Amino acid sequence: MTLLAALFSHYRRHPLQLLALAAMIVLATMLWTGVHHLTSQARASLEQSESAVAERQQVRRTDGKQVTVEDFVELRRGGLCVMPWLEVASPETGRVVGVDPLAAGCFGSTDQDDEPWRGELDGRPFVDISEAAELARGKTGELSLLVSDSDSAGVLPAGYRLAPFRVGPDTGELGDSFLLNLDALGVLVLLITALLVRSVYLLGLAQRRDSFALLHRFGVGPGRINRLLVAEILLLALVCIVPGIWFGRWLATGLGGGFGRALEGLFDQPLYAGQDGGWLVPLAIMLAVVLVACLADLLRPMARRLFGNGRRYGGFPVLVLVFGVALSIWAPGLAWLFVAVAIVFVAAGTLAPILISRLADGRARADSNPLARWRHRELSVLARRLALPLVALQFAMAMVLAVQALVTTFESTFDRWLGQRLEADFYIEIPETVDPGPALEWLSEQPELAASGMWHRVARGEATLVKTSGETGPAVDVFALGPVGPLVTGWQLFESTDEPWRALQQGKGMMVNEQLARRQDVTVGQTLTVTLGGEELNFPVLAIYPDYGRPAGEILLNVSVLPPEFVRGFQSLSVSPGDLSMEAVTHQLKALWQVEELTVRDNRAIEDLASAIFDQTFLLTRAMTALTLILAAVALLMMGWVFFSTRAWYFRLLMVWGLSRRQASAQLIRLAVSLSSIIALLALPLGVWLTWVLVHRINPLAFGWSLPMAVYPGFWLELGVLSLLIGLSIALLMSRQLKSPKSAPVNANAPAGGER
Amino acid sequence: MVGSLLWARGLKKQFSSGNEPVSVLQDLSLQLEPGQSLALTGRSGSGKSTLLNILCGLERPDAGSVGVLGETFDTRNPEALKKAEARWGNLRRQQIGVVFQEANLMPALSLLDNVRLRARLAGQDEQDCQDWLERLGIGELANRYPDQVSGGQRQRAALAMVFAMKPALILADEPTGSLDRQTAESVIEQLFELQARHGCGLILATHDPDLASRCNRHLDLGHLPVP
Repeated sequence: MTLLAALFSHYRRHPLQLLALAAMIVLATMLWTGVHHLTSQARASLEQSESAVAERQQVRRTDGKQVTVEDFVELRRGGLCVMPWLEVASPETGRVVGVDPLAAGCFGSTDQDDEPWRGELDGRPFVDISEAAELARGKTGELSLLVSDSDSAGVLPAGYRLAPFRVGPDTGELGDSFLLNLDALGVLVLLITALLVRSVYLLGLAQRRDSFALLHRFGVGPGRINRLLVAEILLLALVCIVPGIWFGRWLATGLGGGFGRALEGLFDQPLYAGQDGGWLVPLAIMLAVVLVACLADLLRPMARRLFGNGRRYGGFPVLVLVFGVALSIWAPGLAWLFVAVAIVFVAAGTLAPILISRLADGRARADSNPLARWRHRELSVLARRLALPLVALQFAMAMVLAVQALVTTFESTFDRWLGQRLEADFYIEIPETVDPGPALEWLSEQPELAASGMWHRVARGEATLVKTSGETGPAVDVFALGPVGPLVTGWQLFESTDEPWRALQQGKGMMVNEQLARRQDVTVGQTLTVTLGGEELNFPVLAIYPDYGRPAGEILLNVSVLPPEFVRGFQSLSVSPGDLSMEAVTHQLKALWQVEELTVRDNRAIEDLASAIFDQTFLLTRAMTALTLILAAVALLMMGWVFFSTRAWYFRLLMVWGLSRRQASAQLIRLAVSLSSIIALLALPLGVWLTWVLVHRINPLAFGWSLPMAVYPGFWLELGVLSLLIGLSIALLMSRQLKSPKSAPVNANAPAGGER
Repeated sequence: MVGSLLWARGLKKQFSSGNEPVSVLQDLSLQLEPGQSLALTGRSGSGKSTLLNILCGLERPDAGSVGVLGETFDTRNPEALKKAEARWGNLRRQQIGVVFQEANLMPALSLLDNVRLRARLAGQDEQDCQDWLERLGIGELANRYPDQVSGGQRQRAALAMVFAMKPALILADEPTGSLDRQTAESVIEQLFELQARHGCGLILATHDPDLASRCNRHLDLGHLPVP
């Protein structure tokens, strides 16, 4: 028999252990690759969509009419670099966009991002404009004229104006923020799975120790054994990681399909390319993780040589934990914050088994009942011997808690944000050249709208704050509306004076958004001076309203207080027509404004589409974290099974001493449930802290704004029940071993101290 | 059999080895009076441990009946056997002390706590536990853990546990099998001395003919007729 065969004979005798280790590596790779693949794809998708549609400007007619090919010709003859963009609605293929690559020649730039459609012309939805024009026959088509960046700041011919070019609603920075948080969670998944792989590997290693000692006695040096172990795990890792990556991508594609469809629906582009992305990065990362997780012990002698045999102080992990938490509070940048998260997790993971063990030992000392004392001492042994899978379960539970709180906060925040901004059923753009007066008069005379009050006019523009010292302060967005009605009076306000909406309707003050209040330290009742249209006006602050996801400061005024010189950047009407027909409203407005076309947006459809993206993202995030939790629970179950087989004799001894099998099983259940419950309890503060870091630290540092943080005790209870179920499953599975009629100890060796 | 501490009649037990059934016990009968000691000898696999397990209810025979301290367990009475586990449990808890070759102690408890646990389960006074350790010469080791003492000291602690429960019957399965001769003799000496002093019955499974000869009676399972 060769040395290799002797070394690997362990797995021939324990094929299930090899299978477990392989399964753990495959599952770990699958989970991490899945999360990584989804987040990187989602980020790429959002970036692509933003670069494709968010940064462009288009040329519009000031009379509100639709631009035509004649306009395009006139503008190009005027020396302006514009490119036609023809969107054609098609029931077969969704929406098709026709662009003219020749016309886009003047967009010339070395930066590929400036021409996002380049290279995509052969694919859906971008086609040559002639093809789109063909498709447009008999169908609804909308021509836009995109203007190059170099001309977007220049002077336009008379009768034209610039307008932002957008084909879907901007999800704001919520999407970016959410993906950054997902990245952080992806790293946690990696950490948890590494712990699980390590725990299974160490278990096998412990069982092979006698074989290694025997080989050593036969003259095989430890260096050679170590080299063979490295080769063995390297081979196993390679064999398992490749299918793991494939499964991960398959999982991400399966879960991400809905996400992709939602993105396509919103941006009309096949943005979610689920099968793209390289294999090398996940392969290299997982290989490194598996090697470090399994072979970290081989580095210990090296570390000892480098750092000496430092004595481990009991209080050291506590100090590290305190330091990590302090760093998370005062970290000046994202990098330091991630270091703080790593420090806190390492310290919490080190402390958890020690804490459980010491608590159990303390209770054992205090309890006078020898049976209870034995149970506490067994709990202490279990906590130390199952430290790795327990910590993995603790991390997984903390992660699930944080993800649940984060997702629910994002979900409710996003819903409120959408609800606030899209309160009215329809949104109508007021053309720049028209006088909105007659339309406003007509709307106010409609009995249905007069009764419901569900309409208002919005004027947007800019103002400048004036500091108390008289110096010019920061620019703020102006959101002026009137009449003030039920479309806004239901908004949640953080802080307000009495009857703030009535005062706003009367033009006796203004409201400020949360970000402005935070940054300028504005309080309700304070009087702010703003420069509006060249005039300095003073307004008391009536209320502070949440404005989720917008980093810009904003003031909310009654439109009636705007001075005539105020430059209205944009005007619109928000209308919930109720029993009144929307067709009748638009027909009348066209007639009053004498325009052929009106931009009317169905806010409910926009809300549904925008919600769809987030719902899909939330769904797959929850699925991923649930899978991680299941993996951690299964690993604990597996480790518990193997470990319990070495302790089964002592439960059997209880039966020899007269306890019935049911009574011995009850002891086992109490032990397993205590262990899983304590781990859930220890996961709770870690999860709440992680939520706080994600919501209150990572977001402000990354994006300059913060979401409200909420905790969900109902979910804690659910997780508590889950931990009970995990404990019960372990106990029930373990109690099967008590049925064995063996009355001899499994391990015939004399106790060596590791058993207590 | 009336008044006997223990009796067994027509015990049969088979195990399967691969596809082949192996008879371990075949129509075995025995009887033990209070204060008597019985040595069970025989080659490895002759059924000594199986018989001891049957006599304390840890295993069930395929056929036959057992009577211990007035309780009767008969394989022909399935109704009574349903409650047998609880009855056997009560007997082992309070009346039958079992000593194995090793691993008689909970490794997570000190020697004293092990003895206290055994006494508590038997409903005996825990105050005497330290005394029992003293009597067996390991009083100063009371707060040590099993891995911190020698094999002989562990077996003495196991005897202390058995005597702390004040049993009527002791079943010892090769209690000195893992000890050196000198230690083994010392432990056995104490076992017989205490058994005689407290007048309890003793069934001892052993390979050692000298040890077997110290018992009142001797049953060699290796020389029982095999059909």
